[in-house]
Amino acid sequence: MHNPQVKAIRIIELLLLSSALVLFVVGSILEDTFFLRLATEALIFGGLAMSVDLLLGIVGLLSLGQAFYFGFGAYLSALVLKEISPSFFLAIGIVTLSSIVLGWIASFIALRSKGVYFALITFGLAQVAAKIVYNTRSLGASDGMMGVPILQIWTPFGSIDTSHPGAFFLITLLTIGVLYAVLKYFLTTPMGSIWHAIRCNEDRLAYVGYKSKGPKQVAFILAAVVAAVSGALYPMLRGFVSPELMFFSVSGNAVVTVVLGGVGTLIGPILGSVLLTLFKSIIGTWTVHHHIIIGIVFVVIVVSAPKGLAGLFAKYLGKKHPNKGGE
Amino acid sequence: MLESLQFIYAPQIVNGLSIGVAVVLMALGLTIIFGLLDVINMSHGEFYAAGAFISVSLMTMGISFWFCLLLVPLLLIPIGFAMERLLIQKVFHYKDRHILTLLLTFGVAMVLEDAYKIIWGANPIKPSAPISGASELLGVMFPNYRLFLMGFGALLIFSVWILIYKTQFGAIVRASAYDKDMSSSLGIPVMRVYALTFAFGVALAGLAGVLLAPIYSVFPTMGRDFILMAFSVVIVGGLGSIKGALIAGILLTQLQSISSLYISPVWSDPLVFTVMVLVLMFKPTGLYGGMKNA
Repeated sequence: MHNPQVKAIRIIELLLLSSALVLFVVGSILEDTFFLRLATEALIFGGLAMSVDLLLGIVGLLSLGQAFYFGFGAYLSALVLKEISPSFFLAIGIVTLSSIVLGWIASFIALRSKGVYFALITFGLAQVAAKIVYNTRSLGASDGMMGVPILQIWTPFGSIDTSHPGAFFLITLLTIGVLYAVLKYFLTTPMGSIWHAIRCNEDRLAYVGYKSKGPKQVAFILAAVVAAVSGALYPMLRGFVSPELMFFSVSGNAVVTVVLGGVGTLIGPILGSVLLTLFKSIIGTWTVHHHIIIGIVFVVIVVSAPKGLAGLFAKYLGKKHPNKGGE
Repeated sequence: MLESLQFIYAPQIVNGLSIGVAVVLMALGLTIIFGLLDVINMSHGEFYAAGAFISVSLMTMGISFWFCLLLVPLLLIPIGFAMERLLIQKVFHYKDRHILTLLLTFGVAMVLEDAYKIIWGANPIKPSAPISGASELLGVMFPNYRLFLMGFGALLIFSVWILIYKTQFGAIVRASAYDKDMSSSLGIPVMRVYALTFAFGVALAGLAGVLLAPIYSVFPTMGRDFILMAFSVVIVGGLGSIKGALIAGILLTQLQSISSLYISPVWSDPLVFTVMVLVLMFKPTGLYGGMKNA
């Protein structure tokens, strides 16, 4: 725990978890709906941002089309819940398996290119998918799909209703927490080290006897799964899906969230998503022009603090205890 | 057979060409900026919108459309110059500058788009065409303004080509793109060339905005729809290649307009993107790769 970055991540984790639990307790006592729903949405989009961070911050691949997998998860989950059976675990299971297949197929297309070409190909793929969904009548075309049923989720402590804001907040917290833990676990494996090496210098990886293709493919598929599972929670919260979920604004927003929160930390995107969602709802009460402020903050962060808020925090911790700090 | 060619294909091809010329103008700016600076300018569409909005404002102040064609690019050059100097140069020396500059210009796009909403409102504005009437060509009527657009656009594209390949300024730009250290040791002010080239690309986008404002309406997100097409063109043609942008621009817009005769127009966009993705898959450097190889 001497590394300030590790310490910063641990503190942010604890901070987010404790504020989530406080929100749950206080929100449940006061029978609040608004803030619990808002926090649930922040977590869902935080999951999407986390998948962008896995690619950008860990492996060094900028995806401008992560909304594709998010929207895929949302639509598939809505379809399963409406047409097959209103079961949480069935929907999550089907979305996980299908997104592995989708990510695997897409990885063959996207990973043929690197750098800006990767960014543009993911962008192009997501645009094609969004346009197709937008124009497919059986998927509701531009209206999307409504009427996703309220679920009864089985837990060891009894059945939980998704219409209950506090309960569904906990379910979302748990799901995103599991995704986070899975990604964290991957980082401790040799595969995780190879990801870091790819980001630092992909060409030299071959000199030490590793192939970059396989690990990159695993990261790509994993990112698709994280985005899709996060997306699968969306119709359970809102009761509908719309093609806007696949649009570039969602992918772009996820990238903004990652950069604000802290690239390469995985918890930074969650922090960024919570702060951005909060900021939008506060500022949204007196102006609709929140993009201009977010945009300016974003530009300032890219120029002056490319590591984002988590990076700034780590820097602060490093300065506070310079003797303990060390790269 | 001949009649279908005349009344079905010809109008579609001419319409495609008039859009194609504008797309090529946008793509030229993008590709020149990438060819020299390695910057993917995500805010290019917003500068296109800036051109359209400024021309609308100038025209309501009583300035003629023709004068706007000159004035708007001149107004955008200092803005582009300042943006390159103050923002892009700040992240230019990082290892992952490709990604950082892409993010940076994306942030600028966000700010600009919202600024347009505040200044000009979110509702579309439709300026009237400066040339009215229509002329007969090949036995079919075409609006005069579209014909003017094609002629003027072709002239502009030709001038850009002359500027890059036949003038001293163009030689400097190409030299800086090829080897920035060598150019700099030969006394070329590379940093200023970077900023000027960026400003030039931005001004081209603004000019495209002025030209297209009378055809499409002017609204804050107008750049977004157009930038996708311009990106596809630049990628298919090869990032950094002027010839590629021209050829791919004409090909893709023709593909779009002719395919819309057979399939619903809503599917022609995915078709163009599919072509782009296929090109990226099998020939990531596009048809003609890079200004450096020119």
